Amino acid sequence: MDRKEYLKEPVNHIKINGTLTVDQLMQQFKNSGSLGAGRLSAACDIYEKMLREKDCTIFLALSGAVVPAGMRTLVTDLIRNHLVDVIVSTGACMVHDAIEAVGGHHYKGSWAVNDTELYKYHLFRIYDIFVPEEDYVRLDFKLSELYADIAKERNGESLASDEFTYELGKRLSDENSILRAAYEENVPIFLPSVRDSEFGFIHWLHASQKDQKSVLLLDAFKDVPTICGICARSPKNGMIVIGGGVPRNTIQSSALASKKGLDYAVVITLDRPETGGLSGSTLEETVSWGKMKGSADHVMIIGEALMVFPFLVASAIERLGKDFKRDSFLQREKCMGKGN
Amino acid sequence: MENNGEEKFCGNCDSHNCYDYPSKVFCSTRYWQNKSPIVDTLWRCEDYNKVSQECYCVREAKKKAAESAES
Repeated sequence: MDRKEYLKEPVNHIKINGTLTVDQLMQQFKNSGSLGAGRLSAACDIYEKMLREKDCTIFLALSGAVVPAGMRTLVTDLIRNHLVDVIVSTGACMVHDAIEAVGGHHYKGSWAVNDTELYKYHLFRIYDIFVPEEDYVRLDFKLSELYADIAKERNGESLASDEFTYELGKRLSDENSILRAAYEENVPIFLPSVRDSEFGFIHWLHASQKDQKSVLLLDAFKDVPTICGICARSPKNGMIVIGGGVPRNTIQSSALASKKGLDYAVVITLDRPETGGLSGSTLEETVSWGKMKGSADHVMIIGEALMVFPFLVASAIERLGKDFKRDSFLQREKCMGKGN
Repeated sequence: MENNGEEKFCGNCDSHNCYDYPSKVFCSTRYWQNKSPIVDTLWRCEDYNKVSQECYCVREAKKKAAESAES
């Protein structure tokens, strides 16, 4: 590359006034084009492209304290407005959603506390957020009833994780619930690590009950053809990752198994690539596996999702305008009675 | 927890979890036995364990019970 090619775009300095909208600020970030601000503005451009692209299926990977930190309604609104098509989540994220759906809460707390005292008061800590034990226990009791009800209805037939979340959503009435919104809008939620959450441990309680006649059966392998089928049928595939881990890998591996490769990717994480773990692995590394196309629009934001993701969504929505109606491939397919 | 090894409360057993702090607990042993699992914290539990969990629910429940008795 010629020397002058390195010097094409000068950094334009960020100019702030008292009336900037979120997207106007994002444009200022784009003018800078540097560091975290540059990456965030690039992420916004990519998400806008995904939304405007005809027939691009948008996968959202959720991990970490998405709901406890306050992004529950944000995710629910994305589902209700068809601004995401498929969710792949840790079991824990949906447990957190279900806790609030049955009347529990997450509380503003502090990281500088006596954790032994919290233990004695039956309070759990998620960094600077507190959850009372009883909110978990009430959910456990409710879930044990729901499990029995679902199992009775299925009459010995196992469920895939997206069927499990659909059945849970059907039985929750909270309109702010991610699970409920996904059920109503027919957006699949896959939980590839469902056992590693309260959903799994409460199954033990449910299954061990004396004279239990209907034990809920989940079959993790049933997810694979469904999610790979979505990737295979979708003309284009994009992912937005909050955190990483199993949800990110599930989306990427589905893109690989369906021989498509991702067309768009935005990853928000604080993890590092040097461990060799997936959460911090670069998207260039993802290309080497064939999970993302080399030509894909992609960016990795090193940042805390609660500070980044609401900005990203607010800016993209502002760009689209209030009259924007997304033409979602999966929703259209469902309307036509196709797909799984 | 100020447990002198004599008091027998549901809040001293291995399977107690808070249900309505500090007054009610969820007993998983009773749930498994198909008995009503939500019981008073100060209810005597047959699974009393002298090496109890170190929590404040029994202390708080006793304080609350004493206040109720006074009023």
